[in-house]
Amino acid sequence: MRCLHHFLITPWAVHCGERVRRLLWQEWRNRSAKRVLLFVGERWSAFFLVLMLVVFSLWAPHFFAFKNFTNILYYSTLYVLLAAGETFVIITGGIDLSVGFVMGFVNVCASIVMRNLHAAGHPQAFSMLIGALVGLALGVIPGLINGLLVARLRVPPFIATLGTYGMANGVALSLCEGFPIYFLPPQARVIGNSFLAYLIPGKSFAFFHRPQNLNADDLRALIGILPATVFVTVVILIVFTFILGRTRFGRHTYAIGGGKDAAIRAGIDVPGHLVRIYIISSMFAAVAGVLYVFRAGIGNFTTMSSSYELFAIAAVVIGGASLMGGKGTIGGTVIGILILMTLETGLNITGIPSFYRYIATGLILIAAVVIDQITPERRTISD
Amino acid sequence: MTDAQAGGSVRSAGRFGLWLGQNWALLFLLLEVVLFSVLGTRFLSLENLQNIFVACTVVLLLGMGETFVIITGGIDLSVGFVMGFGAVTCAKFMVLLQAAGLPQGASIPLAAVICLLIGLIPGLVNGTLVARLKVPPFLATFGMYGIAYGISEIISKNTPISGLPSAAGVIGNEYLLYIVPRKMVTFLIRPQNITRLEMRSMLAIIPIIVVIAFIFVGIFSFVLRRTRFGRHTYAIGGNVDAALRSGINVTSHLTRIYMISSFFASLSGVLYVLKYVTGRADAGSARMLDAVVAVVIGGASLYGGTGAVKGTIIGALIIATLETGMVNLSIPYHNRYIVIGGILVIAVLIDQFFPELVGRR
Amino acid sequence: MKKTFGLVLILVLSVAIAGFARPGVEEPQELTFAYMSGIADPFMFMIEKGAQAKADELGVKLMTAEYPKAWGPEYQVPILEAMVARGGFDFLIVVPTSTEALIAPLKKIHDKGIPMITTDTYLGDGDYSKASNYSFPLAYIGTDNELGGYEVGKRLAEMIGKEGKVYINTTNPDVSSVSGRRDGFLRAMKEFPKIEVVGIDYNLDVQEKAQSQTAAVLQANPDLKGVFGTNLFSAQGAYRAVVNAGLTGAVKVASWDAGMDQINALKEGQIDFSLAQKPFEIGYLAVEWGYKYLTEGAEVPKKIVPGFFIFDQDNVDDPDAQQYIYQ
Repeated sequence: MRCLHHFLITPWAVHCGERVRRLLWQEWRNRSAKRVLLFVGERWSAFFLVLMLVVFSLWAPHFFAFKNFTNILYYSTLYVLLAAGETFVIITGGIDLSVGFVMGFVNVCASIVMRNLHAAGHPQAFSMLIGALVGLALGVIPGLINGLLVARLRVPPFIATLGTYGMANGVALSLCEGFPIYFLPPQARVIGNSFLAYLIPGKSFAFFHRPQNLNADDLRALIGILPATVFVTVVILIVFTFILGRTRFGRHTYAIGGGKDAAIRAGIDVPGHLVRIYIISSMFAAVAGVLYVFRAGIGNFTTMSSSYELFAIAAVVIGGASLMGGKGTIGGTVIGILILMTLETGLNITGIPSFYRYIATGLILIAAVVIDQITPERRTISD
Repeated sequence: MTDAQAGGSVRSAGRFGLWLGQNWALLFLLLEVVLFSVLGTRFLSLENLQNIFVACTVVLLLGMGETFVIITGGIDLSVGFVMGFGAVTCAKFMVLLQAAGLPQGASIPLAAVICLLIGLIPGLVNGTLVARLKVPPFLATFGMYGIAYGISEIISKNTPISGLPSAAGVIGNEYLLYIVPRKMVTFLIRPQNITRLEMRSMLAIIPIIVVIAFIFVGIFSFVLRRTRFGRHTYAIGGNVDAALRSGINVTSHLTRIYMISSFFASLSGVLYVLKYVTGRADAGSARMLDAVVAVVIGGASLYGGTGAVKGTIIGALIIATLETGMVNLSIPYHNRYIVIGGILVIAVLIDQFFPELVGRR
Repeated sequence: MKKTFGLVLILVLSVAIAGFARPGVEEPQELTFAYMSGIADPFMFMIEKGAQAKADELGVKLMTAEYPKAWGPEYQVPILEAMVARGGFDFLIVVPTSTEALIAPLKKIHDKGIPMITTDTYLGDGDYSKASNYSFPLAYIGTDNELGGYEVGKRLAEMIGKEGKVYINTTNPDVSSVSGRRDGFLRAMKEFPKIEVVGIDYNLDVQEKAQSQTAAVLQANPDLKGVFGTNLFSAQGAYRAVVNAGLTGAVKVASWDAGMDQINALKEGQIDFSLAQKPFEIGYLAVEWGYKYLTEGAEVPKKIVPGFFIFDQDNVDDPDAQQYIYQ
């Protein structure tokens, strides 16, 4: 700048001008690059999901199909519900290991009620409704226990939820004696597997009612649009995203995660709030349990080898939360589950033998997280 | 009663409460033993008590590794499958070395050593991810969990490995000392040529596998409590920045911590092969959570900074005693979970009345 | 300090008193059978039910050890050893979770004078008639999983016209019974060069996983013709995936185990055939032979195979067949 000012017309002025212009151009490019990196870095999980979808679509035949994407959403539902509940807990700096078994517990209870009412001759709609409500009501109990242990008795969340994990499993097993629960109202399975709309290309279109008595070809060509259970899940997620992001309840949740003492000083009723958080988590698990009954048409306890809670927590962390609390969103969690589910389905479709898939999933996940750590993020005061 | 006396009794009540709060795990263990011996059958027999120690070795060894990791504020989810990886690797090498013609006395220890060395690799990877690349420990070890499982299943071709040298089973199942009352005493080798009646009254003392496990536990307990390495571990767990400022090389220290964790997991895998004469990929999968529970019962906090080997040992024993006791009382499978869950919850309540004194957050 | 010492002393004393002051508990004089299962699942419960039924008939006691929460010697052996240390039984019915690892612990039990029968799985190669280090059990009573898998494979191959793609959905590679079925099935498939096994998936006993894995495979292979679900959960998930994809009839579903849901699916044509083992009979026979051995010193046949029953769409409503359903 000083060059221009002092030596307006000489060749040296031109030279200086050149240098300046090159400097400015580089500055602009760097900042642009930085901005792009920043943009990607902050939304890395979303980008990663898109990246995976593209790669799998190109690589695996039949991946880029409506039915496949519907399947991915369909099989994500249970996990996404568990993970959404887990999100609330993790934001407050806690952890909830009991979600998988609470789901199994509610599953068993709801299906036993449905079976007994159905056997007693009540109309199916009645049995199903009461069963679902009983299941949801019972789902409050583990959450209440967890919340009280953590909030009032200051038990570390890990141990508290481990206790409920064991209790939920034990009660579920006692009730069902190790067998799946059969003889539920047949309509339950129909509802659980229904879609909002049905389409046979070139032939017919119907809302809510699955066309009956189709021949084999039509049956194969039948496309279901938006499974009912996915629809229900999406509605619930939207409601709770709003609660977490826009209400005082949500703000208090983040506040507690940021620092319990600070939250107390700010006047938040921390123990009461924590109890409510754990109840929310187990309610989500309860909803998942009820939906599972509708889908499978039978009652199933959760087996020991399931690791539902591990996946739920992993998804929440992939979605941007920290196990120390204070961060995380439901949107991020949903992306986390979709990443895990897409990875699994995609690898399955490409025909890779099963245990190589475990290795691939581990490597890809680690790569994704490493890249996440490397790309810059806007530094906030709390960091 | 004078003021001094009143004050004295209050003070000693407070000290008693303090002692109770700090040692509740040990008291709980004793309570379990008393309860089961009163309600059960032959719970306090030599055989049963030794079985408890053998049963607790897996959780204990996995817990040892976790202790180090948890003190630094991290967590290692991969220990279950690294143990499986260790079991499969060790078994595979035993079979290979035996086929190559090595005598059993050489093939077994050699296979064990190779396995322990290879077993450091998962830890190295975990440590690098957590320490250098700043990956959250939960995710890094979660990825390794899948990778170890996949590799183990592929190596073992989806079937448990068989055909191991038989001497392996001997080390894993035998005892240091055998006493046939009024007849003979032998070391390490089961007495031969005795009648059935004498066999029934034979006493077997100190399982070899427990000895091996406790040797390593002892060594690393010393490391944690008395060396600079141990002090640095607590320092990092307490406050990473302060540790950095005081000159500790946090990155390489953390890497070593995770390598210790996977070392213990592999060791557990080797002992598994010695006891069960086979290698399976999912050898440790259901014990992973128990390992963390043992460490936390033993006094550690998942936020880091506290924990001790002594506590982990007690934690592992509590779990093993509980499980053995349940079988002894023939409590049906279903109710067992309810009882364990309930006991866990009640047990920690005792501790929670003295959080400040125990020094926990 | 004194208080601490005093408390510890009291505790140690109470432990000592509790342990030694009680006289040795005298077990009731009636015969007691002990049942050590392999894992907590309906099949193992059915064995217990069969054993209990015969025990009630004979007037003897049945003691059931804790059901291991997962399959493997590391879960079963501690329970077994705790049971043995407790004592109080005369005969052992056991489902060994490993052909090698259980030899030593079971030998120790045998050396204490307790005879045993292995059910569903066996030690070594299952042949107790030849002398070996694993021939001490009295007998092996069980269905041959490998043979069953082979039968299923052959049937499925015939159903799909001996050519096309098939898929196996199973639970856990480290569980010998299910692996036996998988291996038997594969062995059968080798006899049909025109049949391709597109994949084997492991759902670790989670039905939803079985369903999602099968759905993905159906998606990737629109020309798939046969699916084999190797146990209750695998089959339930697999056939549901086929139904959801609208491929019932086009894809033949073979299943194992006869739970009520599978029977219903058979009736509705969603499963094509299902192999039912006879766990009730296994438990029943084990107690029966054990009793005969203990009371009469009877010679027990070294291998008893109750066989299996194949449910298909024709015989599913037969009254004689109903007894094989797991309930």
